[in-house]
Amino acid sequence: MRILVLIRQVLDAQETVRVVGNKVNLDGRKLVMDTMDEYGVEEALRLRENGTDAEIVAVAVGPAHAHEALRAALAMGADRAIHVETDAVLDVIALSSLMAQIARAEQADLILCGGQQADWDSQALGAATAERLAWPQVTWTRALELNGATLTGKHDTDDGVESFTLLLPAVLTTQQGLNDPRYPTLPNIMKAKKKEVRKDTLEAYNVTPKVKLQGVAVQLKERLKKILDGKDAPAAAAQLVQSLRQEARVIQ
Amino acid sequence: MSTTVATFTAKRASGGSFLIEDLRPEDVFTPEDLSEEQQQIARTTSDFAEECILPALAQIEAKNFDVSRSLMRQAGELGLLSVDVPEEYGGLELDKVTSALIADKISVSGSFSVTFSAHVGIGMLPLIWYGTPQQKEKYLAKLASGEWIAAYALSESSAGSDAMNLRTRATLSPDGKHYILNGEKMWISNAGMASLFTVFAKIDGEQFTAFLIEAGTPGLTVGFEEHKLGIRGSSTCPLILTDCKVPVENLLGEAGKGHQIAFNILNVGRYKLGASAIGGARNSLRDGIRYARERIAFGKPITSFGLVQEKIAESAAGVYAGEALVYRSVGAIDAALSALDKSAPDYSKQVQKCIEEFAVECSIIKFWASEMVERVVDQMLQLHGGYGYVEEYPAERAYRDARINKIFEGTNEINRLITTGWMVKRAMQGRLALLPAIKKVMDEVMAGPGARVSFDGPLSEERALLANAKKLSLFCSGAASQKFGTDLSEQQEVMGMLADMLAEVLVLESVLLRTEKMNGRNPLAIKLARYYAARSFRVLESAAERLLGAIAEGDMLRTQIAIFRRLTKHEPVNTVALGREIAGAMVNAGRYTLENRTA
Repeated sequence: MRILVLIRQVLDAQETVRVVGNKVNLDGRKLVMDTMDEYGVEEALRLRENGTDAEIVAVAVGPAHAHEALRAALAMGADRAIHVETDAVLDVIALSSLMAQIARAEQADLILCGGQQADWDSQALGAATAERLAWPQVTWTRALELNGATLTGKHDTDDGVESFTLLLPAVLTTQQGLNDPRYPTLPNIMKAKKKEVRKDTLEAYNVTPKVKLQGVAVQLKERLKKILDGKDAPAAAAQLVQSLRQEARVIQ
Repeated sequence: MSTTVATFTAKRASGGSFLIEDLRPEDVFTPEDLSEEQQQIARTTSDFAEECILPALAQIEAKNFDVSRSLMRQAGELGLLSVDVPEEYGGLELDKVTSALIADKISVSGSFSVTFSAHVGIGMLPLIWYGTPQQKEKYLAKLASGEWIAAYALSESSAGSDAMNLRTRATLSPDGKHYILNGEKMWISNAGMASLFTVFAKIDGEQFTAFLIEAGTPGLTVGFEEHKLGIRGSSTCPLILTDCKVPVENLLGEAGKGHQIAFNILNVGRYKLGASAIGGARNSLRDGIRYARERIAFGKPITSFGLVQEKIAESAAGVYAGEALVYRSVGAIDAALSALDKSAPDYSKQVQKCIEEFAVECSIIKFWASEMVERVVDQMLQLHGGYGYVEEYPAERAYRDARINKIFEGTNEINRLITTGWMVKRAMQGRLALLPAIKKVMDEVMAGPGARVSFDGPLSEERALLANAKKLSLFCSGAASQKFGTDLSEQQEVMGMLADMLAEVLVLESVLLRTEKMNGRNPLAIKLARYYAARSFRVLESAAERLLGAIAEGDMLRTQIAIFRRLTKHEPVNTVALGREIAGAMVNAGRYTLENRTA
């Protein structure tokens, strides 16, 4: 069988976001594979390590530097990669068309993609792709097991956790807690050097984004830097609790 | 090297040639030349360091060796312990830049870094280089996986820098099956958690020889842990050998040739120590900047104060220069190694010979980088004020941990003597064209002021400083040789001053080459280079002036000082303005960075 994992490249969480003109400036910034997608790669590897004979293909749609994120997926253990190289920003519906075409061409059985993305948070990619392929989809998965073409697992709902079983093909979205992604080991980094990264153009898929990004603004949260007078300790503690509850809203 | 992850190979340069040859930027390796694989390896290493080592810090410092052992196993699983292991024994056999990069990126804890480097360096390299196929078969896989930890036992209570003077004795048993070892070893890193020891002893009190001894061998006792100033989470104990029976097949290398093992290992240890010091300095700088950004005094973040900015700028320039120095030198070693035939029966020997060619660079890296990190941790502790002096902040630990770097892998005093001594020896042997170069400079300066050579580019003034730094070093070497002749080696202070000058020439040149290789695309790098150059020249000037004052008097001194003035004449740059700009970029980033952000 063949598993497709969608890889997106985002700013490292420790980097500050800077907007130049009408878009986020990435020059010289540390870019990494979206953690959400690391769960996807890790899960594909685990499904294979648990006895499924699978080829794992990492797919990225994005500018030239997205190549690095694909290399990271290959170093984790993916077998090969497809890079649709474009500077265009694709909305989720356009992107799902592309994913569906790749899935058909590759005769994929399973698509794993992050439940959401760090910098373009529609949460709809999995669903849109499944819709186009007329495949079932399960979101926010947290435990997966594969026996032949039967996939069983658990996923989160608003109220709790549901167990499910389905017959492949399917689209699954991943989330934090699904697994603990491995570090690329040195031997695997060296092996990845020889793995194939196929470059495609966006034109080959005849996809035109219908939503045009006009600009971005970054929300900045200023720290309050508030100092409580501690002479009356109990009163200060009460005030702190109140601030955390009502102003910062970090406790209930 | 059959497996290379490097995409760029430096020009073949010979060790010590930096003083008399001028390289072009495209001839040297710089951190900007790391290949994609090397960057990924760096990423795996720093992720492991930040996410696994750092959270375990308190337990590591409390000498919970189970935690350290488990981290070493994890490092083994990632392949971090296999970088120098030959492929035929399941290793990766990668280039030396990669191994230096790992030493750099893993260094979030001084204690763990020592455990790690003692294992992969002095612990494993003697076996890799000198072991028989049987010995390698038996031990290498266990060491590469981290299942076993290795230690190296050379020093004794009365034999440190003069290691050849050791007293531990080995005697062949009457049946010829064992060597019986007696003696005491001291300051043995990893002793408390090691499964395999490389122990040096003299057979019949004469033949200096190395032995592989497994933990648990009767007669081998590990003493109590030392109570150390820093790196408290690393293990350091004495070893006591009482009629310790070592099978003859565990003799490592050849009887009577243990000194080759002892000395050749050191060069590798020295450049790795440098890489590790740079990682430590970079981390300390980040911790300092994070604190300074939050700390308010007189109603402002302390990062707005000039004397705080100066500390940040000086530290950042130190890290920038250190990176340039280490990666350029190790890149040159890789370039030299790449010419060797890996299938040759004496390949290991050739590797060592090849690295030994760069002994002077290795020694300079060792003393220069250990003193650079010491300044950085001191400056960063200082900007914490009282908080720097207590254990709640990382500055206190970093300050204590850095100190050992000036002591082990050969004290900085020994490394200064090696630096100057090696250059003198090479010159005398005619293997380094130092004497003609000295003569040329002597003739030139005696002839009086010549035409000023001018340079182009944003670093033109720094280029002129470097040209004069080389001349000044050659002039001082010549003057000292004329005065003392072969007796120079007895003049340790003068040897030390010359070593400082040689070091600054190498570092400054590395800084300029690295910056020029960026092609003027990085304005922050240019500022760092100019800032470092100013400091570097101050060190050189001071050493040269003291040297001349110590070797001449009267008319001779006046003549030499006139030459000194001519060679050191330059307009000072505005280090205050440069320092503020550098600090601004670092503070904005919250860490050491080469990205010029103004946002």
